[in-house]
Amino acid sequence: MRIVPFLASLIITLIFFGLLSSSHPIGGNRIPPLGKFLDPFHGFWQNIETHQGVDAKEISLAGLQKRVTIYHDSLLIPHIFADTDADLYLAQGYVTAMHRLWQMEFQTHAAAGRISEIVGAGKDNAVLNYDRSQRRLGMVYAAQKALEGMMSSSTSKLAVEQYTDGVNQYLKSLSYKDFPFEYKLLDYEPETWTTLKCALLLRSMAQTLNMGDKDIEMTNALTLFGRDAVDLLYPDREKVGEPIVSKPGQWKFDPVVVTSKPLALPDELIKIQQKIPGSDPTTGSNNWAVHGSKTETGSPMLSSDPHLSLSLPSIWFAIQLHTNEVNVMGASLPGAPHVIIGFTDSVAWAVTNAQRDLVDWYKIEFKDAAKNKYLLDGNWVDSKKVTETFALRDGEPYIDTVIYTHWGPVVYDDNFQATDNLKHYAFRWIAHDVSNESQTFYELNRAKNYTDYMKALNHYSGPAQNFAFASVQGDVAMRVQGKFPVRRKQEGKFVLDGTLTTNGWQAFIPNEHNVMEKNPLRGFVSSANQYPADSTYPYYIHASTYEAYRNRRINDVLGKNPRVSIQDVMKLHSDNFNLKAAESLPYFLQSIESISALNNDERKAIEILRTWNYFNEIESEGASYYEAWWDALVPLLWDELRKENTSLSYPTAFHTIFLLKNYPDLSWFDNQATPEKENAQLIVLQAFRESVKQIAKWKEDKKQSKVSWADYKGSYIGHLLRIQALNIPVRHGGNHDIVNAHSRTHGPSWRMVTSLEKTKVKTWATYPGGQSGNPGSPYYDRFLERWTQGRYFELDFMHTLSEETKTKSITFTPLLP
Amino acid sequence: MRLLQQILFIFFAALLLEFFLPWWSIAIAGFCGGIFLHSGKNFLSGFIAISALWLGYILWINSESLAPLADIVAAVFNVNKTILISLTTLIGGLGGGLAALTGSYLRQPKKKNLYY
Repeated sequence: MRIVPFLASLIITLIFFGLLSSSHPIGGNRIPPLGKFLDPFHGFWQNIETHQGVDAKEISLAGLQKRVTIYHDSLLIPHIFADTDADLYLAQGYVTAMHRLWQMEFQTHAAAGRISEIVGAGKDNAVLNYDRSQRRLGMVYAAQKALEGMMSSSTSKLAVEQYTDGVNQYLKSLSYKDFPFEYKLLDYEPETWTTLKCALLLRSMAQTLNMGDKDIEMTNALTLFGRDAVDLLYPDREKVGEPIVSKPGQWKFDPVVVTSKPLALPDELIKIQQKIPGSDPTTGSNNWAVHGSKTETGSPMLSSDPHLSLSLPSIWFAIQLHTNEVNVMGASLPGAPHVIIGFTDSVAWAVTNAQRDLVDWYKIEFKDAAKNKYLLDGNWVDSKKVTETFALRDGEPYIDTVIYTHWGPVVYDDNFQATDNLKHYAFRWIAHDVSNESQTFYELNRAKNYTDYMKALNHYSGPAQNFAFASVQGDVAMRVQGKFPVRRKQEGKFVLDGTLTTNGWQAFIPNEHNVMEKNPLRGFVSSANQYPADSTYPYYIHASTYEAYRNRRINDVLGKNPRVSIQDVMKLHSDNFNLKAAESLPYFLQSIESISALNNDERKAIEILRTWNYFNEIESEGASYYEAWWDALVPLLWDELRKENTSLSYPTAFHTIFLLKNYPDLSWFDNQATPEKENAQLIVLQAFRESVKQIAKWKEDKKQSKVSWADYKGSYIGHLLRIQALNIPVRHGGNHDIVNAHSRTHGPSWRMVTSLEKTKVKTWATYPGGQSGNPGSPYYDRFLERWTQGRYFELDFMHTLSEETKTKSITFTPLLP
Repeated sequence: MRLLQQILFIFFAALLLEFFLPWWSIAIAGFCGGIFLHSGKNFLSGFIAISALWLGYILWINSESLAPLADIVAAVFNVNKTILISLTTLIGGLGGGLAALTGSYLRQPKKKNLYY
């Protein structure tokens, strides 16, 4: 035995295995533990799937009451057949985790502000700041309130507890080899699932959909430019199209009136380094239901088309849940029980965002710098300080303190995004109230008719949605459902004085006063995030943006068609008609008509635009020139509305075009960067020249002679980790403001068409991704190609499982003690 | 002959151990191969055994693969798939080689005993 060479060799070997067993942050990136990660027996190679489908097997689960059978069809959609609710949700949790565990956990970590635990503080603390903003918005607090709501009903309680148990039983069966790919790449492990995580997921959806408020921006505009400018640039109601429900004079109820004195307008500039990014104002959703009198089959038809930030693993997970009491299929949110958008054997429903303003900001007056007390109704009231700890991946934990007031958390203060002249604003959000949306989905999943649908929605608080409905009995309906504060005029448009409780939400609109209609004369209901009701609706309605284009196109197409077929609905989903261009391009072209000094590129661009048919098709060059023109125009037009450390907002696209056409000489149109005084026409020309240059540069960079819209748009479905190699580029038409609302990163996330025929409920669906969350699975992006082509899969809505199907299924059996 | 025996031992020992233990089980295989089946080229035999085992398995996975995850991982590392596979093989080989070499030093050199 040779001691010295042995020890030398041993040390080198240990160092080798040690180094390659752990990950190392190098230059902002984390190098995975190379030995562990690359080992073909345990590492990422094990995530590469080598056969189709899911193997039939028997799994024993603790707490299961009876046998449960889960059949995965050819699209990898699980069909769960159970005897009891308890078993059903246990199985839903288990099966969802089987396919989507990493995503479920990552999304709830993101909601709870815990991403820095996985990846560290990030470049310039970007990840830590994101996490801090989540905590400062009170996301965990909101989830606790949601959980409180879920636990208040025995049925929603059972569902969320069993689902959680199912996820955890799956988790316990895993070893490193079975971990989803992303855990291996980032070198961390899944943690125990909790009911709070289910709640976080629902509140995260509320955050996505509710944060479009512009209170701070409007207040700044009011202070900088005055009341007239605010009224001119940001009218409460744009004169465009039809509201979701139009029944003038027929709102037959006595509205709740808040009698306290009207609110004073604020007069101050709110300086924040960088406001937490809000909801993307260009996103939205479409839904509609067509009455049997207007369809080819004579049965009602329902269309679902929610638009979200498109990501991988896919936002939705298709599933069927079956017991003797329930048979439902559709899209579920990975991490929460029930089907969120879907159909039963009698009804179908779909949602779009209601846009309504459910977020307010209240100015707080603290007694002193210690911020232990603040003024409320003439008294100094104790503030509540909550310590938030961020367990950073590399380094010491970061501690933040968030102050909670009567209104909610103080988001911006001297520790977060502050500038000089600091003032404190507390954040009031409807999702900080107790509510039980789970109960709505529990009941919708069992709905048999219109009455059941109406009852189910009564539990629903937020995020407020436009629920379209159709049933085999022949009813179609729309209901704008949420918990809406009764607002005084202008309330919610600007920041509010937080020293008086009377400035808060005094009452809520009773459910029966919400905007709704059933079987309207026109033969269909539809919504696309537009204004909810005609001007005779007795309550003041406010939101920062309401949609102006998709809704008119949808209503126009549906209105003109006396016999709507399934194919017509599918075609309308993919409709690329650019109404905004049709209403603005002729004016733009006319504006630059008299200009003679055009160069070659510019003349060619005009020629392409003149012959363009206003459809944003994949190969369309006109669409590229138009969109580039528009994108160049907006910042030039509204250059006054960009100020450092002062949040301001652009007027909407519709209103911008309205002002350009009707008030071409507005002083707002002057480009302040040039000595000349510009009017609308000159700015339109400047923007045109800039956009032509941009396209020329694009062609040079990409070495293309043609600027096809799909290439110019450059859409991709981004992986949640935002690692470029994991993104999938897609060539697709459409854009925001178009029915086929696929912009660069946002778009149709779950397209579904349901025909509610008396003999059978038939559904076709597609979405930009696939059932598996594993990038090493052929099911990961299985639907993507068909989705871009506007083609669908017919869903296999099963009523029983044949013996033959059972042999191909996973069976859960009760674990004997 | 001795070398071939040693390679085969390490190869199959690692194959067996990898089913029950994490990736570092290749070190146990190499180490034992170094002690019990001493050859003149311990490092080489450990290297060949594990790199062959890993490369063979990867090539099988790659041929049966239904999704381009290997290409995606290669792109995450900014390399192509061939380099990714080579890197994997090299790491396995080095691990096996080092472990076999270490094990071999634990063995009493036989030569000295012969002359007493």
